[in-house]
Amino acid sequence: MKSQQELLQKVQEIVSQCDRCGTCLTVCPLYGVKDVESSSARGKNNLALGLLLGVIKPTPEVQEAMNFCLLCRTCVDNCPTKVQTDEAMMAIRQYLAQTSGNVSLEYKVLGALMKNRLLVRLSAGALGVMRAIGVNKLIPHGVVPCEFTREQYTAAFAGPMALGAPVDRPAPAVTADSRVAYFRGCGMEMMFPDAANKTREILSSITQPLFPDNTCCGLLHIAHGMQDDFYQMAKENIRLFENADIVVTDCASCSSTLKHFGKCFAEDPEWKDRAEAFSKKVMDLTEYLVKVGYTPRQKTNATITFHEPCHLGRGQGVRKQPRELLKAAGNYVEMKGADACCGGAGSFHIDYPEISASLLDKKRINIENTHADIVVTECPTCLVQMNKAAERSGGKFKVMHISQVL
Amino acid sequence: MVTEEIKKQLRAAVGNEYVLDSEIDRFGYSYDSSFVSIADKNQPEVVVRPATTEEVAAVMKIANANGIAVTPRGTSSGRTGGSIPLAGGIALSLTRFDKILELDEKNMMVWAEAGVRTIDLYNHCAAKGLFYPPDPASWKYSTLGGNIAENAGGMRAVKYGVTNNYVMGLEVVLANGDIIHTGGKALKNVTGYNLTQLFVGSEGTLGVVTKVLLRLIPMPKVRNTLQLMFTELNDACDTIHDMLQSGVIPAAAELMDKISFQAVARHRKLDIDPAIAACVVVEIDGPDTAALDEQANKIKEIAGRHAVKEVRIAGSFQESEDIWAIRRGLSSAIGAMAPNRFGEDISVPRDAFPDMIRRIRKISEKYNLTIAVYGHAGDGNLHPSVLCDMANPEHAGKVHHCIAEIFDEALAVGGTLSGEHGIGITKKPYLVKALGEAGVAAHKAIKLSLDPKGILNPGKIWEN
Repeated sequence: MKSQQELLQKVQEIVSQCDRCGTCLTVCPLYGVKDVESSSARGKNNLALGLLLGVIKPTPEVQEAMNFCLLCRTCVDNCPTKVQTDEAMMAIRQYLAQTSGNVSLEYKVLGALMKNRLLVRLSAGALGVMRAIGVNKLIPHGVVPCEFTREQYTAAFAGPMALGAPVDRPAPAVTADSRVAYFRGCGMEMMFPDAANKTREILSSITQPLFPDNTCCGLLHIAHGMQDDFYQMAKENIRLFENADIVVTDCASCSSTLKHFGKCFAEDPEWKDRAEAFSKKVMDLTEYLVKVGYTPRQKTNATITFHEPCHLGRGQGVRKQPRELLKAAGNYVEMKGADACCGGAGSFHIDYPEISASLLDKKRINIENTHADIVVTECPTCLVQMNKAAERSGGKFKVMHISQVL
Repeated sequence: MVTEEIKKQLRAAVGNEYVLDSEIDRFGYSYDSSFVSIADKNQPEVVVRPATTEEVAAVMKIANANGIAVTPRGTSSGRTGGSIPLAGGIALSLTRFDKILELDEKNMMVWAEAGVRTIDLYNHCAAKGLFYPPDPASWKYSTLGGNIAENAGGMRAVKYGVTNNYVMGLEVVLANGDIIHTGGKALKNVTGYNLTQLFVGSEGTLGVVTKVLLRLIPMPKVRNTLQLMFTELNDACDTIHDMLQSGVIPAAAELMDKISFQAVARHRKLDIDPAIAACVVVEIDGPDTAALDEQANKIKEIAGRHAVKEVRIAGSFQESEDIWAIRRGLSSAIGAMAPNRFGEDISVPRDAFPDMIRRIRKISEKYNLTIAVYGHAGDGNLHPSVLCDMANPEHAGKVHHCIAEIFDEALAVGGTLSGEHGIGITKKPYLVKALGEAGVAAHKAIKLSLDPKGILNPGKIWEN
């Protein structure tokens, strides 16, 4: 857990690296939609610096400006000095939440919901009911998404038997003596249960996975000034997975967050080693599948494109693996700007529906231009966004989680 | 003072949405990429973002009538504080001027608005086989208006010149709101004063450039890159001089001194010979590969006469990229060496380049401050970076004296204060030394005639 002083020091270390050159202005997706300085990484980093230097007062407007960031790391990737803007934003949000005692009610509600395993399961049930009776179409901003299931997919795109026949899988390399555990993400559980089940099936076809009753990865909490909750849940999860050798998750945000535990606990003598050991075990699903030489159960004649979640590509450097798997699962076609943020970004799409919609529109056009039948991704928030895009396109494409096509 | 009544007029002129006055927005338009600290309260009272020349003219009329300062800006990537609204008033953002208006292939010229990014213009013309050579390091995000205001240079200057060599005409809004057009597509033009070139490098103090007419040349067909390593700085410089005199004009000739080269080698984890005192990256271009081979061999031969330690001629596009990555990674590698870096931009006669570097070495020893030097050796433009920690009172006390001495030495060898960054705020204390009292007075007289109320970018270039 970081004290206010430590948070400020972290922010200072990061933002003082900014040379104010302006490279980020050309790549920041938000600046692309709202081209005023405070939208850009340079704008926010310097606002944080202004705060540290006392030139700027910590007003609700400043807090709002710091929330206006996708944490997508496009700026970090392009920055000549690699200023870690996303980390600075999370730290300054935490600091502002602590000093003002003001975490927005919406984050508090979401945070409390995701912290509680029972509520996660209950809301998953509620979403199922809503989906069954069709009210999800009536709820704006796609909070309750549609889910195109694997069964519907194989029925539609099964293709000739030559392609559809099961393929002999080479024996996975790392499974022999390693205990693999599935880390279940809240978003997957609540909104995309079919996909989460398909992940379980795939893992079970390779090994004898453990299914611990884990709690939320805590990304929402650490991103929105609720670090106490984050650290509490992280410790719980570290304990829970101590008997596993590999922790696999099918949510890009979870895997990237879990991989950061080591760094988050670096200054905690009691937890540092355990957290580091935990993070080293974490693998994104596609990373794991490629490692064990998994071959998709069938190759269909569907044209598939991939939307690369920010937390997968820029967040973990996992770019080749999902594409490699998808090439074996269907006719893969790469879309333009596959790694551009879709505007989902956790709860950003709920906070800023219009900005998020402009970002998503760019994504939708890129998907449509591939003429793909299916857009595949690996993050529940991205799936929510992709569903909205599919609806907007008038059903030109379907949306699926990668587990559902493998 | 920008009153509510004036804001109302500004909103009427450009639209509500494009007049910003919240604390956050005013702060966001208070800095640039120079080392002028953001702790200095340089906030504008209002940010105005017009999209048409007529809107700019309307804003200038309002400002002139009320004696309000106006500081034009593009993406604020300048290095000397040129776009910092030092006197408050209006920060006039021109980023909505983002259209390329006409690519005239027959006359090989292009009309574009001032807020177009340099790289976008380059790519637009390159698609038609035409070449806009000026390539300031900031070209991915800098705008044409800013390039003109600061007369930006770049690495290609040795062969192709700088921004002013390509500006054929301008549309400018004057301080009183009048719109004028200078120059034009006629190559020969002596009708009146050369006002076009007066505005180039004027740092937003004489008028607001809204549209630019730029000259283009045919795109060279092929390019290649060489890396030359020397154990003596003099040998590196002599090689460059002999190249130029023999008629081999490289498209770029970038020199790194020992400190710079070692910094980038550490940063990129390259293994290098510790005896290397200078590394030169040379780009050549031409009509075909035979011409490139001829230039490369000639350069190799000349470098051989000057005890070159190693010559590497790129054999592939990837190898070219690898060599250029060393040069491109330089600025961040040097920046990472210390908490603070004061990057300067002096320009000296080409033959004084090695002498200038030796003088900088002496200054570095005298003040016990590390100074990394790299620059465009082909045109005599050097970027000494003084590395220090401003939190250390000993450093803070002496760094400005150190920089002042660098300027003194640059003037002593017949050079000048700035090659491509402009004077802005950071170099104005040294202007009289460079131009003399009468020279500065001539500047002030020009300024007074075009902007009698002194509303355009006040507080820049010279001390008031």
